[in-house]
Amino acid sequence: MDDPGLVRAALRCYPARWRRRHADEAAELAALLIRDGTPAGSVAWSYLAGAARAWLTPRPGRHLSAVACALLAGACLLGVSAGLLASAGPARAASTSQPRPHAQCRPGSAERVLAPRRPPVIIRGAGHGRSC
Amino acid sequence: MAVGRRDGRAGPDVLRRAGEASVLILISLAGGPKHGYALIQDIKELAGVELGPGTLYGALDRLERLGLIEPLPAEDRRHPYRITVPGAAALRVHLDSVERVSAAGRLRLQLGGI
Repeated sequence: MDDPGLVRAALRCYPARWRRRHADEAAELAALLIRDGTPAGSVAWSYLAGAARAWLTPRPGRHLSAVACALLAGACLLGVSAGLLASAGPARAASTSQPRPHAQCRPGSAERVLAPRRPPVIIRGAGHGRSC
Repeated sequence: MAVGRRDGRAGPDVLRRAGEASVLILISLAGGPKHGYALIQDIKELAGVELGPGTLYGALDRLERLGLIEPLPAEDRRHPYRITVPGAAALRVHLDSVERVSAAGRLRLQLGGI
């Protein structure tokens, strides 16, 4: 977890305007803190949280409503995606992962539901035949 | 966003919701201009609080937007900051407010005999 590459990766998460102004100094500060014994992972985590805040903080020229709209649109997209995944998941699971041993089993006429190339097994139970 | 009063009169406490990091940074800068690493070291000595670098830059940006601090010309790669006149006024108002609340708290503890 003491990889300075983590810090560099975290710094790349900041908006470009922030990086233009602070990136060099921030990298130097991180190196000094790590030299003093602060774990690189902790420094990287702090920068990651700072990057999230920097993206969410409205810029002077950008109104708060624009940021709120962007967040709302993102949330909607996530919601739609999650909904699609949720609805597709069970159907896919049913079609691919569940065995269907009795899919061809129907009470009644054995000839109509027999699997091709498999010899029929006739189970004679309570008076009517069932082939599986 | 304009804050503080240049006439020296007390205004609203703009630091009430600014967070501990912002207040500590202003207190540190009240002792003279500093860059990021010096701020972290000073605040560690002053308050025993180790500010994360991400928290530090977030607070510096916010304080600069509020006009409470300003950047000085860069020294190599380091950008020192200094407290502005409105920044000093805002810090004074905030510390007065904290002091009043603190005094009230101590008084109540005394009266309650706790």
